[in-house]
Amino acid sequence: MEPVWQIPRPALFWLLFTVVALAGLHADHLTPWLLGAGALVLAWRVQIYRGVWRYPGRWAKAVLVLMCGGAILASYGRLYGLEPMVALLWSGFILKLLEMQRRRDALILVCLGYFVAVTQCLFSQTPGTALATLGGVLLVTVVLAALHRRAEAGYWRPMGTAALLLAEAVPLMLILFLVMPRLGSLWTVPQPRQGAIGVSDVLAPGDLSRLGASGEVAFRVKFDGAPPPHNQLYWRGLVLSRFDGRNWSRIEPARHPGTAPQSPDLSVERRGAPVHYQMILEPSGENWLFALETPVPESPEVTLNDDLTLTRATPVASRWSHSLTSWMDYRAAAGGLGDGRRALETALPGAANPRTRELAARWRGEVDSDAALVERVLALYNSDYVYSLEAPLLGRDSVDEFLWRTKRGFCEHFASSFVFILRAAGVPARVVVGYQGGEYHPDAGYLTVHQYDAHAWAEVWLAGRGWVRVDPTAAVAPERIETSVADLLGGEQAFLADSPLSLVRFRGIRWLDRLRLQLDYYDYLWAQWVLGYEYRQERLLTGWLGAWDPWRLGFFILGAGALALLPVLLGQLRLARRRPRPALERLFERYCQQLARRGITRAQGEAPRALAERVARERPALGADATVISALLEEGMYGGGKPDLADLRRRIRRLG
Amino acid sequence: MLGLSYGRIQFTSDLLPADIIGISVYQREQGSFEFHPGPVFNQLILADEINRSTPKTQSALLEAMAEGQVSVEGETRALPQPFFVIATQNPSTQYGTFPLPESQLDRFLMRLHLGYPDAESERELLAGTNPRLRLPDLPRVLDDARLAALQERVDQIQAAPALIGYVQRLVHHTRQLPDCEHGVSPRGGLALLQGARAWAFLAGRSHVIPEDVQAVFGPVIAHRLHSAAGGEPAIAAAQRVLNAVDIL
Repeated sequence: MEPVWQIPRPALFWLLFTVVALAGLHADHLTPWLLGAGALVLAWRVQIYRGVWRYPGRWAKAVLVLMCGGAILASYGRLYGLEPMVALLWSGFILKLLEMQRRRDALILVCLGYFVAVTQCLFSQTPGTALATLGGVLLVTVVLAALHRRAEAGYWRPMGTAALLLAEAVPLMLILFLVMPRLGSLWTVPQPRQGAIGVSDVLAPGDLSRLGASGEVAFRVKFDGAPPPHNQLYWRGLVLSRFDGRNWSRIEPARHPGTAPQSPDLSVERRGAPVHYQMILEPSGENWLFALETPVPESPEVTLNDDLTLTRATPVASRWSHSLTSWMDYRAAAGGLGDGRRALETALPGAANPRTRELAARWRGEVDSDAALVERVLALYNSDYVYSLEAPLLGRDSVDEFLWRTKRGFCEHFASSFVFILRAAGVPARVVVGYQGGEYHPDAGYLTVHQYDAHAWAEVWLAGRGWVRVDPTAAVAPERIETSVADLLGGEQAFLADSPLSLVRFRGIRWLDRLRLQLDYYDYLWAQWVLGYEYRQERLLTGWLGAWDPWRLGFFILGAGALALLPVLLGQLRLARRRPRPALERLFERYCQQLARRGITRAQGEAPRALAERVARERPALGADATVISALLEEGMYGGGKPDLADLRRRIRRLG
Repeated sequence: MLGLSYGRIQFTSDLLPADIIGISVYQREQGSFEFHPGPVFNQLILADEINRSTPKTQSALLEAMAEGQVSVEGETRALPQPFFVIATQNPSTQYGTFPLPESQLDRFLMRLHLGYPDAESERELLAGTNPRLRLPDLPRVLDDARLAALQERVDQIQAAPALIGYVQRLVHHTRQLPDCEHGVSPRGGLALLQGARAWAFLAGRSHVIPEDVQAVFGPVIAHRLHSAAGGEPAIAAAQRVLNAVDIL
């Protein structure tokens, strides 16, 4: 009978520790009961090790597996999808702990552990995640190393082995990172939608104020050259033209796959110097993009819509970057607005907000042009309205209530009521949502746009000028547009309410603010160079290799790979022939070399004394010196004496 | 001369273990058995022509040489200290010889080839009086206590790690010789080191040097190397080992 395999104690310790650590890494996406199940299994495993409990029987295992599968189905509602799949992997991982009867099982567990550690990259791609994943991989490797050592090796030796292994793998990792062609996704997994926050395609009063509570990054922008002034940074996202009495939503725009800058369909006249920039988007789970006015995207994945917004073919599920060009001086649809379109852009269904409608009709009679009407409404806002994140809740006649009762609101209240008044007066107008401004990192030269920069403004159709951007918020609080929302509303309680630890909160403290900018810069570099590497890979490699062809690439991978593995190989060789070489033995070798130069080659097995005797016979001139040196060496090597090494070295040198 | 008790055992083909160890004889007067110790209960034993007896009888010496004790009729009796065995062997090609088992050979520290005396010594030998007549006149130079003290001093001779490593490599090398069935046993390694210590002690050194090991290597190792081919004298094989293993 085979002896029962018992996992070495350090390996078990590290394994359990690793399971706990991996649970910590995945705590975000796993339901609490899965973590609880993990704790239960850990306890069971410890009891098995102590010999108190037994391994579960065949039926018990079947029941456990069915229970886990069923519970995952019940808590996620589906089995197909990223999160349920990771949950399934996790439950398989922890249940395997109960089946670990042989070393082979433990090795399977290690392989699963690598997968579990790496799957968290599917959810997040920040430098923090990368570090955490690296830590997870290190821990799993420690388990692997501990499994290959006896328990007497202790708890820390496997850690050293694992660290060394990973260190040896780093050069190879870098090379693969540099040269591996980035393949598109070979399979698609439905991405998690919940959790990601950002601008949505339905705007209700209070929506954007909620974003003001978040300090998360929406996207970052790197301009070629100097950035445009802050008050021109209107990141258009969605055009909302449909109003249902309370919410604004979009009319699905027609898409224009051909995005030539002068595409006639779009009837845009672009003027002035274009701005070229690269955007790095955080995952939003949505497929609309943000851009400065009249953008032309470079990525083939992006299409330009007829309302001059951008759409990506698939939702932005992970950090993604693309480049585009914008003409900020433009004239849109100067040709005229069709009747059908005009009807859509002035539609105000229902009969809510009678007071506003009445006001609009009165003003319509008093002014002679649409532009004058716009001025009039803006002057109204400038009188006694307050710009604030903490807007009171509004009832059914939301615009009436806002304009006459509460007089306090965030940008969506102003944009929405502004468009309502204009539409009531028969002027085509629409709400645009996106972001405004951003924080410019002065040293690194890039712009960070946070969720609290979310903004809503209006576009008005003026005959002869086309769609013109009008920002009512600028009339109420010009500082919002000129500087930033953080400076303006930083004192309000609702600002950053969801991000209590956000460093933006402490902008007043100088060094903390520097630290925040620096951390943000690292994150930006990470996004730019690591996640965005695929966009510069080809250019970089072409630069290095001279040209881009499979042969060169293959040779480069082989050569660089061999170079990266060389230290490992040398290390192995050294390890194989490493014997302690005390200083005296090296000196003895040196002594033999000196003698060999004088024509006396030490025979295999000839010890210092015998050697000296032979020297005295064959080269009497050297005899005295050799006798002294041999005696010193012998005393040091075998007699436990401590000869003066420097003196000995001198004597040996003189011999030559 | 050494001041030790002496017993000589002439090995013959019909010698029995009891002839060596001793036997219990019934004493009619006391009505009990009394143990009569055999010649093994001496400090210095000469086992003459040891390979003339059967392996059964030879192995009576095994326990005595390994542990310094003998077990007779369920009783373990200690042998006198120091205990020292000298054996002579007839050439194995002669009639009526049994090969010594390897385990028995391993218990002998050294095997020395006496051969014939050189011409000078032989002349002296012939010219002098009968050496046997001079034996009673030899002065006694040692006794038990002094011999034990000397042995203790040999044990104190230092063997540095470098030297231990050398001995180990030598022993290890014998185990990888292609024409030897078995290499040297760990007991052989200990014997080699102990022999080298004694050699160093005789040379007046407090530590062992490789030359000591080399000096005793042949006598200590040769009889432990069992040449499979048998063509080459074991002593030559031992010399080859010395030439093949470096001191570092």
